Amino acid sequence: MSYVRRVAGGAIAALLATTLLAACGTSEPNDDAAKSGPWSFVSGNGKTVTLDATPKRIIASGAEAAALISFGIKPVGIYATGPVKDDPNLKDLDLSGITILGQTWGQIDVEKAASLKPDLIVADWWPAEKAYSGFESGVKASSKKLLDLAPVVGIAQGDSIEKLAQGYEKLAVSLGADVKDPKIAADKKSFESAKAAFEKAVKAKPGLTVLAVSPSDDLLYVANPKYAPELLDFQRWGLDVINPDKPDKGFPYWENLSWENADKYQPDLLLIDDRAYASTLKQGEKQPTWNNIKAAKAKAYVPWPAYWMHTYGEYADQLTQLTAAIQKADPDLT
Amino acid sequence: MTAVVAGRRTRRRRAGTVTVALAVVAFALFVLTMMVGSFYVSAWDVITSAFHLRDEPSVDFIVRDLRLPTATAALAVGFALGVSGMLFQKLLGNPLASPDFVGISSGASLFAVSSIILLGAGSAMVSASALAGALVSAVLIYLLAWRDGISGYRFILIGIGLSEFMLSIIGYLVAHAELYEARQAMTWLVGTVGQAGSTELRTLLVALVVLVPVALLLQRPLRVLELGDDTANALGARVELSRLALIAVSIVLIGFATAVAGPVMFVALIAGPIAQRMVGHSGGGIIAAGLVGSIIVLGADLVAQHVVPVALPTGVITGIIGAPYLIWLLATVNREGRGG
Amino acid sequence: MTLLETSAPRLETAPRHRPGAGLVAGLVVLIGVLLVVCFFSITLGSRGVGVPTIWKAFTDFDPASASETVIREMRVPRTLIGILAGAALGVSGAILQGVTRNPLADPGIMGINAGAAAFIVFGIMVVGVQGIGGYVWLAFLGAGVATVTVYGIASFGREGATPVKLALAGAAVTAILSSLTSAIVMTNADALNELRFWQVGSLAGRYMPVFWQTAPFIVLGLFVAMLTGRALNGLALGEDLALALGQRLRRTRLVMFVTVAVLCGAATAACGPIVFVGLVVPHLARFICGPDYRWILPYSLVLTPIVLLGADIIGRLVVSPGELQVGVVLGVLGAPAFIALVRYRSLAEL
Repeated sequence: MSYVRRVAGGAIAALLATTLLAACGTSEPNDDAAKSGPWSFVSGNGKTVTLDATPKRIIASGAEAAALISFGIKPVGIYATGPVKDDPNLKDLDLSGITILGQTWGQIDVEKAASLKPDLIVADWWPAEKAYSGFESGVKASSKKLLDLAPVVGIAQGDSIEKLAQGYEKLAVSLGADVKDPKIAADKKSFESAKAAFEKAVKAKPGLTVLAVSPSDDLLYVANPKYAPELLDFQRWGLDVINPDKPDKGFPYWENLSWENADKYQPDLLLIDDRAYASTLKQGEKQPTWNNIKAAKAKAYVPWPAYWMHTYGEYADQLTQLTAAIQKADPDLT
Repeated sequence: MTAVVAGRRTRRRRAGTVTVALAVVAFALFVLTMMVGSFYVSAWDVITSAFHLRDEPSVDFIVRDLRLPTATAALAVGFALGVSGMLFQKLLGNPLASPDFVGISSGASLFAVSSIILLGAGSAMVSASALAGALVSAVLIYLLAWRDGISGYRFILIGIGLSEFMLSIIGYLVAHAELYEARQAMTWLVGTVGQAGSTELRTLLVALVVLVPVALLLQRPLRVLELGDDTANALGARVELSRLALIAVSIVLIGFATAVAGPVMFVALIAGPIAQRMVGHSGGGIIAAGLVGSIIVLGADLVAQHVVPVALPTGVITGIIGAPYLIWLLATVNREGRGG
Repeated sequence: MTLLETSAPRLETAPRHRPGAGLVAGLVVLIGVLLVVCFFSITLGSRGVGVPTIWKAFTDFDPASASETVIREMRVPRTLIGILAGAALGVSGAILQGVTRNPLADPGIMGINAGAAAFIVFGIMVVGVQGIGGYVWLAFLGAGVATVTVYGIASFGREGATPVKLALAGAAVTAILSSLTSAIVMTNADALNELRFWQVGSLAGRYMPVFWQTAPFIVLGLFVAMLTGRALNGLALGEDLALALGQRLRRTRLVMFVTVAVLCGAATAACGPIVFVGLVVPHLARFICGPDYRWILPYSLVLTPIVLLGADIIGRLVVSPGELQVGVVLGVLGAPAFIALVRYRSLAEL
């Protein structure tokens, strides 16, 4: 049970943590003199990090690295919480020339990181845990030594993926990214149009209710939108994502339902945690009460990009998938 | 008479030589541990950097900040386990009576992990809890096994049960902790060096520096104890006091060592007998047992970190080393025909 | 062991002191209690279901009703598995304690948990087995292999598998198996996930297929176990005496170990490692009916399911609407019970 929780909520931490410290990105997008003065950035924890020159050799946590790469800033090293080939943020990226410093939560090869001579570490700031990805409690003491190599900056994980993407855009610009590059601009534009399509589809289905869940062998975890930035975005854009009424006190990312009470909420469409979509769904389907949820019985499910998105591009893809599911969904499911 | 004295002297000389040799091996492994990793650092660089003979920033970060804490932890934990195991085995006159085998390590580990998960304890608290856990399990075994004295095998049987019991509670705790990723939890189930913070390690080092000389001082009464309770009783209360003090020393050592590395299995169990075999029966062999413990843990950590394809907890390797020893011990038990 | 001289005379006299009629009545009362517990196990849970609905679930089942589905497909299998697993753990605990004369003997000591866990992770890594239904067989096989290995190692030598040798062999086999398990788990995330779920020890999430997979073994094992009382009484007198009484020690022990392996293996496979019950309940039984194993065994048989289901029900109620796994409840409640038993002298005189 704790594993799911961990993955669910704590895993947020884990996911964050896993984002590699892709260090020392050798990215040198443009060498114009304007960039060579002192560099400073207000990090997610409110502190300002100031350096003598714009950092060039960046180590980043996994998802954060993906965000930087989407703006053309290539880190020199990445630390991930799990195998890079399974990481939703990294699996399709070209990581050639980037040193992988860790593929297990809480373990970063600081020796290798040191050899990359990083001048900046980029990792999300987790306000709830007061830690950057990769430096939460439980992480090996030796891995935390990474902090001795370079200062850390990151965007705070807050209430919106859109804002997170904007934050990384700002960081990337300060690091010398050219956001007017046609490819980058196209990503942002496709996000804007996906968002418009999403809002339109939602408007066309009044009364459609949605529930985000993560089924496990012993419990049905119901996501609390308050702690899931993408779900807050969806609510803001008009989608009726059900707010569970009794989130777990110690771990408010979820309400934990025993399978006996799996039918407590009756949405028209189920969003299912996509961090291990097939096996997660299978765990739900083998429960006798699964089919007592009307959306489950009607097989109205769609993958829910849970907690991991950081970039306009991937957000656009996910929104398009969701929009299709919303268009297909029946708001009067019985 | 002179022959006896000469014999004793020879034995003592042999003990001295062996102990020095063990120290050399332990030191070599200590340096070797700091040489290998993602980057090779030459032995000379390791030594000059670790002992602050020369400052060279690129080497210093890797050696002093990254590798030295783990290597020191392995050295110290191994030493503490070896000494503690030797003391227990001698005091109870039984090769199986080592604190890791009879549940004292797992008790310490249980308390340490509970303090982290349930109370959110900091480093100092973790060491204190581990110590408390070691004490509680020692008292528990004593209460359970006491029947007009501690009879050897009954004590062992109860100890193994207690160890099993403690480990299963740790299993439950970590399975329910949100604080820790499962792999981290492994520390408290199998034990590994290089996981804990520097406070726990410093506590252990201080304990070693203070308590090992104390144990050495008490070595003489210890030798009397080997003659059996009857002789010891005849020598009176002072012996009883020494016995108590020695048990306290080994419990403190095992508690602090567990706070650093979790229950690294079987090191305390096998270090003593190995040292004894090498040194012979003249001296107490406390230092030798400690050094053998260090060598085992340093070696196991080298294998666990660098020889196998994926880095493993140290305890996985010591577990695999310890099992054949147990089976060998079984064979000996058979031969002696003391089945209990 | 020295304790034999003092305990042997007691063993002979004890059955005579306790009239059988009283014990029979006690057993009947306990069976009544078990029925009551079963009733609560079906009616109580994180979901409130009224008695009329429960009645309807059995007489006129409608799968579209969530409440009726919960009763028929969740609580009934759960209760049945609880009864079987409880009986298996209690009886095998009693036999293990008797045959090893170790008051703290439980499945963990025989390497059964370690064996089952090792086989589960092997299976997941090599064949990709998933889900509780798939790895019941693996756990079962693992428990069997571990027990046979432990027994085999311990039986070398003249006097066969003595308590000390069993404990040593158990510790050695456990060390090897759990080292291998950790090594696999560190490298295989799937194995880690499945193992974590299994390792908690729970009656939840186990449905009818698990029951049918394990029931035949447990029923057969219990049947054989009930016949071993006399032999256990003989063993309790000490090996020399037992030999003198004409027992064939080796064969007796072997039969008992096979029985224990089947029972524990099946129960552990079904529910994961559940500590405490197998350890504590036989002592409770001994406390009630004295040292005669012909009574200890049936009492353990009935008492353990009561305790296991009781703990399971508590787990369902305390953190409603969620649940606390039965293993956790037993851990919390079992620890004080265990300490109380420890203080009670007879534990030390097994």
